[in-house]
Amino acid sequence: MSMKHNCPEYSARLHTASDLFSKVKNEIRNGTLAKKNLVWLELTGCSGNIISLLDGANPDFKYLISQMTEFVYDNSLMVAEGEAAMDKLMSIIGNDYILAVEGAVATKNNGLYNIIGRWKGEPVTALKAIKMLGEKASHVVALGACATHGGVSAAKPNPAECVSVQSVLNRKVIKLPGCPCHPDWFLGTLAHILLYGEPELDSRDRPLLFYSTLIHDRCPRRSFFDKGIFAKKLGESTCMFKLGCRGPVTRIDCSTRKWNQYVNWPIEDDTPCIGCAQFGFPDQMEPFITYNTTRGVKE
Amino acid sequence: MNNSTYQTIRTKVAESQNYINLIYVAPCIYTRNMLLNQLKAKMNEIDFLSGLAFGKMNQMQQNQRDLTLAELAKFNGKDGNPAYVAVNGTVYDVTNNAAWAAASHFGLMAGKDLTSEFASCHGGQSILSKLKVVGKLV
Amino acid sequence: MTKRIVINPVTRISGFMEIDATIDNNMVVDVKTEGLLFRGFEKMLMGRNPFDAVYFTQRICGICSTAHSVASTLALEAAMGIVPTEQGRYLRDILHGCEFLQNHIRHFYQYTIPDFVMLPDKYPLYATDHNDFRLPKDKNDKISTHYFESLDISRGAHEMLAVLGGKAPHNHGVFVGGISTQATTDKIIKIKSILHTIQQFIIEKMIPDAYTIAQYYSDYYKIGGGHGNLLSFGCFNGYNELGTLYVNPLVYSQGKVNVFNPDEITEEIDYSWYQGKKDEYKPMDIVTEEDMDKSQAYSWVKAPRYCGVPYEVGPIARQWLSGGYKNGISTMDRTIARVLEAKKITEIMNVLLENLIPGLSIQKEYVIPDSSQGAGLIDTTRGALGHWLKINDQKLSFYQIITPSAWNLSSRGNDNLKGTAEQALLGTTIENLDNPVELGRIIRSFDPCVSCATHVYSKSGECINSIQVQP
Repeated sequence: MSMKHNCPEYSARLHTASDLFSKVKNEIRNGTLAKKNLVWLELTGCSGNIISLLDGANPDFKYLISQMTEFVYDNSLMVAEGEAAMDKLMSIIGNDYILAVEGAVATKNNGLYNIIGRWKGEPVTALKAIKMLGEKASHVVALGACATHGGVSAAKPNPAECVSVQSVLNRKVIKLPGCPCHPDWFLGTLAHILLYGEPELDSRDRPLLFYSTLIHDRCPRRSFFDKGIFAKKLGESTCMFKLGCRGPVTRIDCSTRKWNQYVNWPIEDDTPCIGCAQFGFPDQMEPFITYNTTRGVKE
Repeated sequence: MNNSTYQTIRTKVAESQNYINLIYVAPCIYTRNMLLNQLKAKMNEIDFLSGLAFGKMNQMQQNQRDLTLAELAKFNGKDGNPAYVAVNGTVYDVTNNAAWAAASHFGLMAGKDLTSEFASCHGGQSILSKLKVVGKLV
Repeated sequence: MTKRIVINPVTRISGFMEIDATIDNNMVVDVKTEGLLFRGFEKMLMGRNPFDAVYFTQRICGICSTAHSVASTLALEAAMGIVPTEQGRYLRDILHGCEFLQNHIRHFYQYTIPDFVMLPDKYPLYATDHNDFRLPKDKNDKISTHYFESLDISRGAHEMLAVLGGKAPHNHGVFVGGISTQATTDKIIKIKSILHTIQQFIIEKMIPDAYTIAQYYSDYYKIGGGHGNLLSFGCFNGYNELGTLYVNPLVYSQGKVNVFNPDEITEEIDYSWYQGKKDEYKPMDIVTEEDMDKSQAYSWVKAPRYCGVPYEVGPIARQWLSGGYKNGISTMDRTIARVLEAKKITEIMNVLLENLIPGLSIQKEYVIPDSSQGAGLIDTTRGALGHWLKINDQKLSFYQIITPSAWNLSSRGNDNLKGTAEQALLGTTIENLDNPVELGRIIRSFDPCVSCATHVYSKSGECINSIQVQP
């Protein structure tokens, strides 16, 4: 090969270096934590995700409200009530804010199955609130199974005609399925937005940071599965595949992150995974516990 | 493995040996690269043929059976029955398939013909070739 | 001159609620309380595998999910004829106790305190217009500091729960027979150690804080009384060797305490949008069909009654019926009862922990009966909770849930008797019509959790919408 002509590979290498350098320069500037407004909407659900958020540690709720965000609205925690509370919610529209939303959106009877407030004499349905707040937010993070895909609120026969947050919004929604959403998943996603912008998402809008690997592929009991050693009842230390474990179809990091200051998680508690962080929970993950699944198949 | 497949494989192995001998004495890198590509193609052909041969062997060793829908329904993965599902006329055994805990998969139960559900969810993915075939749906 | 005050949302409760009060001469002369969230769990549970109910019903509520797992487990045990071992009961009750602590600490500091104590308004969440803050600055700031300290403490209660329950909220440990996993020494000492921290906090900070507030807001001992009937299904009771550590199933009315009889529970539907063969029915009866044209009705919530009369449930009922705190029944008494109960629960949990035998395996392979029925009645964080279920063809064929908040926040009954919370609000003097802080304070003392029934706002008979559904 002649060395007189310019090797395209060599020139590309030079380009890449300068590209990388500018990127790093920018990222260093980006890595400073600048507080943003945070609105937390509780919609048609159990409000368990705000409770889960309070269970967070490093960062915890205090760090969230003092260092990460100006937390302006949440039904469970704010001091203002009635019209005064609704004023705060309505006045944030037009400003820059991140919207966190838990709970599905009840749509039956134009949304009157879930009224989150009353403003200027009119009831404000969950449906109306999410449309008003959702379209104008800089980022929308739907957390919990109900917000991401309907979850338990939309379980058959779905009496309130609940739907996911995405299905009523015409914009990208970052999805954090889980029942509830682990505080780390939300706070980590929020931190990424604040520090570096929107995190890398998979084809279903879940941050790869948390939702990249199946529970099955990082399960401490995988060697039992591979050898075909299956538990017959709860409380045993072997693989719970035959009891109905949904670890093989659930993409989330519970097996390594664990829960509540990382002390435990369902499988280590000798119960199978019920697939709460996978789309399809709960209807498509049931039955959760089965005792009569066939074990060995005689050839 | 039938005899003609075996003979074809033997021929192709001999041809590969020939390429290797030529590579030893190749005069320049261009000839050498060309011969290496030919060798690579030959090896793919051998691989394909052995796969075919093994597949046939596998099938002949299995107890293949014809099942009607009514018979298939018994294989629901419970109470000692294996878990079978049918897709595109072929019946597969999913008893120990990780995605079929409690003999159910995303709300679908074993012992059924799941052709349309499979198409709408996994169309285009190479999942079926990894499943254990046990027969045909009749 | 009458004025109508509507507060919606009532913040710092679990769920969504509206208070609609008519004020005349600064006094509440009429009031309706309405829950504004409906999902329909009883319909959802039909046809599901019975064991799924233990996990499914937890999702009714995020702050007391363990309560529902306990009630549904008890109902399943009754239907399947399973008697849990004593060790199984101890372990399950320990998990239940963890949820009590988490709930009461969060309810006192995060939900109740901000009504009486000024929190730093540099945090937008705590900014408020009302100025009925009576504590001197040093006492106010001390409690404000405790508000933030309590976050770690209540979080610790959930950590404790997860040690044996897998995760919180929505635990995995509670199950038929007791709990799923075995208690081992390291788990036991971990729980004991977290419990110790929580107990210290309750004794040294939470209870004194409650009494400090009571000192400066002593008028609330006379505000928000209700009917004065108290009920408990019992909890932490009936152990073979330990007897009753807290309270037995009892009722109190008009100065007399009686044994609780589950057959006397009915639900009334005169003011609710239902049509039934009769206007009151027992929990295990067939659920009614809806009827939106029914005149007078203003709500989807039925009115649970005991012997036809509305009863109040919650920490105040348990403290009274167990002989712990019998000062009175009022807004302030409810709050005091709740913090005293938190201390009691830590003591109970210590007893249970001491009686644990580590390493015992409790679980079995269970067989679902073809058809059966059972009820699980248990007193839990907010009061009396009942799950009634029927199994047919090995699947759930019927499921009825009456939550503590249905007891406390019920609609008017067939005899026009107001529900307990409505009665508590009635007759209250509102000092400042622009900031009617009294209403929220009274309602919050009940610790409402309104995630299970829907109400339709109705002004003089006119319905805002036409919901056709059955709770």
